[in-house]
Amino acid sequence: MSALFDLVMLALLLGMALAVARTRDLLAAAILFSGYSLVMCLLWLHRGAPDVAMTEAAVGAGVTTILFLLAIGRTGRRER
Amino acid sequence: MRRLLTALALAIVGAVMLAGLAGLPRPGDPAAPVHTHVAAHIVAHGVEDTGSRNLVTAVLLAYRAYDTFGEVVVIFAALAAVMVVLAPAAAPPPGKTAPPPSPAPAVAPSPVVGFVIRLLAPFIAAFAALVLWHGEALPGGGFQAGVILGALLVLLSVVMGRGLEQPLVPAAAARWLQAAGPLAFAAAMLIGLAGAGAVLGLPAEPAWGRHAVLLLLELGIGLGGAAIILGLYLQMRGH
Repeated sequence: MSALFDLVMLALLLGMALAVARTRDLLAAAILFSGYSLVMCLLWLHRGAPDVAMTEAAVGAGVTTILFLLAIGRTGRRER
Repeated sequence: MRRLLTALALAIVGAVMLAGLAGLPRPGDPAAPVHTHVAAHIVAHGVEDTGSRNLVTAVLLAYRAYDTFGEVVVIFAALAAVMVVLAPAAAPPPGKTAPPPSPAPAVAPSPVVGFVIRLLAPFIAAFAALVLWHGEALPGGGFQAGVILGALLVLLSVVMGRGLEQPLVPAAAARWLQAAGPLAFAAAMLIGLAGAGAVLGLPAEPAWGRHAVLLLLELGIGLGGAAIILGLYLQMRGH
């Protein structure tokens, strides 16, 4: 069960990382990266590191996403 | 030809990394080098050395306090860099009057989003306070509380729409709050020199003294971190 959880989460991580690298839409990339951080947060929690999980959820999924969105708002949404 | 070379280089780098990975000890192996070096000492003596029941906090704020001091300074420097890069565009040119207050955001956040954020805000704030206060006994601490509080402040300024023109706290006070982390470490260094004879040492004599120093550091890291996150958001949003 535990190994299955790890495998599913790692597959999700890999899929989201590939999607972030491939998409040309920066807004979609920022949202996907936020999802990547949430999965990473679950993995940290499963590894027994709740402090890192808390930081990952708040910084990775929350604050950096907002900063990315602000930067996209000041520049442009499409990658050239 | 180029694609072939790229694939070859990737395969070689990947093979080296996988070979290195195979040499790592199994996760959680008690005989791994990382668990037999200083970790054994910290696990055995951490609570009596630092008075903190959470060994992660003991490492972060006592055994490895210099590293944490460096991290706090890095975050502070990041905000300073963002201010230096973005401030000239945002500030009015000298000699001219201040620009008129910026109009309301073009797209008002939906009433549902605003209501939910307002409803959740006190609970998020209470969670941040719990994480800060109980950082010495439970997982958590200054950094975690700081980012939770900072995320809450950013959320609130998204729905309330306060800008750089109507700051929540006066600019001078905000500067001190943003520097709270390094300032708390400076105070702890002086306390350590006076009380324990070592920079960042924990005074051994009054039992509450060590708790007071750890709490001062947590407070500085937490409030400073939250102020820095809000400052980053406000600077990047601009007018």
